[in-house]
Amino acid sequence: MNLFWIEIYKTFSRWRTYIGFGVIALIVIITEVVMKLSADEILHRMLRSLEKDFLISGNVLNGWFVTTFIMNSLHIHIPFLITLVAGDMVSSEATSGTVRLLLIRPPSRSRIISAKYITTLFYTAGLVLFLGLLCILLGLTLFGSGDLIIHHYGRFGITYLSEGEIPLRMFFAFMAAIWSMMVVASIAFLLSTLVENSVGPIIGTMAVVVVFLVMGNFPLDFFRSLKPYLFTSYMTFWQRFLDDPIPWQEIGSSAAVLGLHAIVLFLIALGVYTRKDIKS
Amino acid sequence: MKKHIWAFLIPLLLSSGLVFGQEDGTRYLEGLERKYSGLKDYRVDVKVHVDMEGFKAPDMQGELFLKAPDKMKVESKKVFFLPKEGGHFNPFMFKKEAFDTRLLEHITYDNQKAVKLKLLPKDLKKMKQGFVLILDVESYQIREFHTSSEEREGRGVIEYGRFKGFDLPTRIELHLDVQFKESFEMKEFGQSSPRERRVTGKIEISYSNYKVNSGLSDEMFGNPREEK
Repeated sequence: MNLFWIEIYKTFSRWRTYIGFGVIALIVIITEVVMKLSADEILHRMLRSLEKDFLISGNVLNGWFVTTFIMNSLHIHIPFLITLVAGDMVSSEATSGTVRLLLIRPPSRSRIISAKYITTLFYTAGLVLFLGLLCILLGLTLFGSGDLIIHHYGRFGITYLSEGEIPLRMFFAFMAAIWSMMVVASIAFLLSTLVENSVGPIIGTMAVVVVFLVMGNFPLDFFRSLKPYLFTSYMTFWQRFLDDPIPWQEIGSSAAVLGLHAIVLFLIALGVYTRKDIKS
Repeated sequence: MKKHIWAFLIPLLLSSGLVFGQEDGTRYLEGLERKYSGLKDYRVDVKVHVDMEGFKAPDMQGELFLKAPDKMKVESKKVFFLPKEGGHFNPFMFKKEAFDTRLLEHITYDNQKAVKLKLLPKDLKKMKQGFVLILDVESYQIREFHTSSEEREGRGVIEYGRFKGFDLPTRIELHLDVQFKESFEMKEFGQSSPRERRVTGKIEISYSNYKVNSGLSDEMFGNPREEK
């Protein structure tokens, strides 16, 4: 536990740790202010297919909708911000020349790497929670509260969630988002144990995420057949908490696949780190 | 010679039948207009229950305001969907000048004498599709309406109550078959064109707590987003 707090202190002493929080704050503030200024255009676009057949009243463009809207871009910009810290977690010791000093101290290598990994997950959770809290608080302040209308693109569905049940569903959705991002953090962490600089893990992780996302979304049968084997296909499982009814089985299997990825990636990182040659 | 007479008479008889048919249809619309001529406005609480494929929603409640001839808006604290076609009752929309009206047939509907009318709008910019109405000719109540176009088909069944001397709906049951098209802007990555699919289902709309001719002002219909 002591090791964990040391890693936390080290991580949050670096200025690069706060880049992610700053970028998220910037993205959320700009997005929500622009959405507020172009509310009519957004409403028209989002309700175009419905307004042909329905008269719609009530606060459709509310803080919950805005939060969901921003959350949908989670798998595009958050992974990069996570890699900034996760990709630096182990390799920074080599870069700064402290790795030998660290490893000659009493704690075992496995304890050190575990503490670093838990710190990575802590940072990942903190970043996603920061995104969630900022989106919700700013969204509710600017747009007010209301029921959530979700248009499931590609699935021909519209779900209407009553205001009262949204906070709990949002909580679960953000927990699921943290769970998804753990895999991205684990990839960056593993790459960080393999190299001695931080740029490689950052670029490597982003390359994996982008390539997998592109492959999973290409409208060709070959790529469609690969989709179940790509972890990025399960990363949006947080959206299922906004379905009605909640598909628990699908959520469970997605969470299991992602969890398994994170565990295997950590075990590989553990194996690599415990056998790492620091003499040369 | 006789053959020639028939050749002359048959088209004449058919065309006169058509003319009389059209006149009859117009007469029924006049009757409907007369019946509701004293109705200036109404406000009513509306409850909507949606049972449509792909549309998951709890029962929605709102308030509907209507002022003759064409002002209408809905208000609600929560998000509220009301079908545009058949979701509200506006007897003023069936003006005889606005339609080419054909009497399709005389029928018996719920043991009452009724007529089936086909209404084709004269101004296709204002109204894009026609209706088939089943009109009870004893009470001048519209009992059913049907709409049909390439994009949607609908059938509505109306039940009435009497409020301040006017027959106004207490329940409308809509059966819809609509084409659902995803907007191009929101399409998924790599998708080349908007997807389409037909969606069917039923919407039940209940009306209660009518306030008829309470003197609704024009100003309250001012919001252009809500007034359709």
